[in-house]
Amino acid sequence: MMNRQEAARALVGALTDQLVVTGLGNASFDVYAAGDRALNFYTRGAMGTATSVAFGLARARPNNRIVCVEGEGSLLMNLGTLATIGRYAPRNLTCVIWDNQSYQITGGQPTHTESAVDLAAVARGCGIASACLIESLDELKATIPQVLDAPGPHVVVAKVDRTGVQGYQPRKTALIKYRFMGRLGTLPDVAALAWE
Amino acid sequence: MSWSDTVFECLKANALQTVVHVPDTVLTDLIRLTEADDFFDVLSPTREEEGIGIICGAYLGGRYGVMLMQNSGLGNAANALASLAAPYQIPFLMLISQRGELGEFNTAQVGMGQAVRPVLDSLGIPHFTLERDDEIARVLNGASKLALSTDRPVAVILSPLLTGGKKG
Repeated sequence: MMNRQEAARALVGALTDQLVVTGLGNASFDVYAAGDRALNFYTRGAMGTATSVAFGLARARPNNRIVCVEGEGSLLMNLGTLATIGRYAPRNLTCVIWDNQSYQITGGQPTHTESAVDLAAVARGCGIASACLIESLDELKATIPQVLDAPGPHVVVAKVDRTGVQGYQPRKTALIKYRFMGRLGTLPDVAALAWE
Repeated sequence: MSWSDTVFECLKANALQTVVHVPDTVLTDLIRLTEADDFFDVLSPTREEEGIGIICGAYLGGRYGVMLMQNSGLGNAANALASLAAPYQIPFLMLISQRGELGEFNTAQVGMGQAVRPVLDSLGIPHFTLERDDEIARVLNGASKLALSTDRPVAVILSPLLTGGKKG
């Protein structure tokens, strides 16, 4: 397995103008620590829904690449999302799963991937052809450019350790929304909301 | 014009472009109408909780939308409403078909039938029950205005008095 912070830095370092959605907890903290961006939408709750948010965003923004980063515990809560991604096959969606085989932030309780559960195989079973399980940082660094550029959908499950970060992403959820939509240019025109 | 036709026209008039549904029988015609019209992006997730995530993501991307579900589905969506839609101030409509009350034949539907309004109240989601065809435009237009003005989801509950309910 690889050092999760090195993995996060490798991913974030490769980003240009992609839209990023991060799952709650360490997934958000890591991406923030690796380099905060206005086009990062950090979630702070609704565990499991990060991929669904990313999917909806991908449908609304076909000319953008959307990258979702979440932990395996989050994805396990919403496995149906892989079926939805397989069915609609959004070419502009890349999902990166940090799989440390545990619910680290709540005390390290093991998740199902500590046993035989292979989330990349689940993704392939849902019709997502580009789904891989990666063990080393070198493999990840080689894979990142492919999954950022080539048509997707892509699911990358990276086996990572439990190296965490100090510090948190912006706490104000409404500010996260306004900053993201403001930079993207999708905030509704305030004047248009001035009903007569 | 059926109630489905009227609702369909209202969805379009209010620019509710993204339509996410976990279907209920009474929603069949409405879903079919939206699927047949290129204006709408109609998506079918595996579960209502997913659907809330999708609707929120679409809104971030500039597309306003509506979630169609049966009231049983609200139970599957509660946390996504509470800890994603609400704190991130995402506006959308929810059209919730009502089971478990007038004319219900299935005991298993009654629990969420009773719970849907208290749950919406607990989540701070305004809700309005649609019983008559001649109220559809005023209720949907008003619900959408409320959602957009306050950056929050608003629910419109479709009574069996409007839809005829499910026969069984």
